[in-house]
Amino acid sequence: MGGDLDSFNQLVLRWERPIYALAYRVIGREEDARDVAQETFLRAFRALKGFKGQAKFSSWLYRITLNLCRDWIRRERRTPLVQAPEGVDVIELAGEGTPSETVEELVSRHEIGRAVAKAMSQLPEEQRTAIILKEYHGLTFQEIADLLDCPLSTVKTRLYQGLTVLRKQLRDAGVESTFGK
Amino acid sequence: MCDSKELLVSFLYDEIDPAEKHAFQRHLSTCVECRDELAALGATRAQVALWTPPDGDLGFRIVREAESPKRRWFQLSPAWGLAAAAMLLVAIGAAIANLDIRYGSDGLVVRTGWNHVNPAPQSADSNVTPVEWKAQADQLDRRLRELEQTMSARAGSPVQNASASDLSDAELLHRVRDIVGQSETRHERMVATRLTELMREYDAQRRLDLATIDQGMTRLQNSSGVTKDLVQRLLVRTAYDAK
Repeated sequence: MGGDLDSFNQLVLRWERPIYALAYRVIGREEDARDVAQETFLRAFRALKGFKGQAKFSSWLYRITLNLCRDWIRRERRTPLVQAPEGVDVIELAGEGTPSETVEELVSRHEIGRAVAKAMSQLPEEQRTAIILKEYHGLTFQEIADLLDCPLSTVKTRLYQGLTVLRKQLRDAGVESTFGK
Repeated sequence: MCDSKELLVSFLYDEIDPAEKHAFQRHLSTCVECRDELAALGATRAQVALWTPPDGDLGFRIVREAESPKRRWFQLSPAWGLAAAAMLLVAIGAAIANLDIRYGSDGLVVRTGWNHVNPAPQSADSNVTPVEWKAQADQLDRRLRELEQTMSARAGSPVQNASASDLSDAELLHRVRDIVGQSETRHERMVATRLTELMREYDAQRRLDLATIDQGMTRLQNSSGVTKDLVQRLLVRTAYDAK
């Protein structure tokens, strides 16, 4: 696999979207997330010979991405800022939805997404990262613990605390009523 | 069990040992607080899932660094600049070297090397040396002074020199015209002679420059076989163009 561009580019094609999504959710900036994702693959390719397969390839990519995100946050010295449009383009939204969704449901989903993004950006980085890896990437507790170099119990605590804060913030934003208990 | 948030989270994500799961389910059936919290966190998870990153083509692809462009059969180098400058100089020299300056019945004629004409036989007058034309100029000046003195004497005094008084106005006018004509002729000869002189000086300098260029070319030819070949081609081409 080492040095085989075609093979590696197959992996890039397979993982570019999840890696970009991870970077975007952690740092909250579209262009910077794109740069981070691009740099992730570049570093992975350069370090490919050093990858012995001791971890899943995806976990290896996630680790590189998270390290780059941490560097970005440290360098920028700022909390993630989710860039979201002020208004809602209903026509554009209609193209995103499923045939069974009404426009109201589409708008509601979009608004909730924005509220979640805002609430997530206000979480401490450790909690935010744990939730992102669990909710959007389906990693196990153990995989998250390995990636974040922390005990399993710490991962669970971060998840619980993060979800609890999100729940409160979304409720304060008037989002909770949509889904309710 | 209510204090164990780790167990709650494990149950929430269904990442729990079967025995622990069974025990927690039993607890939930009796604990409203844990049941409500579990439902609320489940709802929050559903909301969190609605946050999607922006779409858009990513199209990342690792590519090798662009290979350096294939080496051309030649490359521009300072030696080429020198050779080009030399060729330009040679071309200009060749053009000026064909400069044709003649003085004849049709007056002063100057032609450059681009006008390929049959060289006319050189006029004997054009062989006047600088010393000669200077002497001729002095002689002309003396004659003009004599003429001025003669005219002045005739106008100021009734007693005239016999040779001068014998001249009629028409004769005198003819004489003046003749002198002026000679003066113009000599002047044109002087210009032609000066130009010839300049050309000789230029030609000497050009030969010196060409010798210097030739030495430079020799050094270039020795330094590179390719350069040598190209310089030779250029020289042949220039010689061909000059024909």
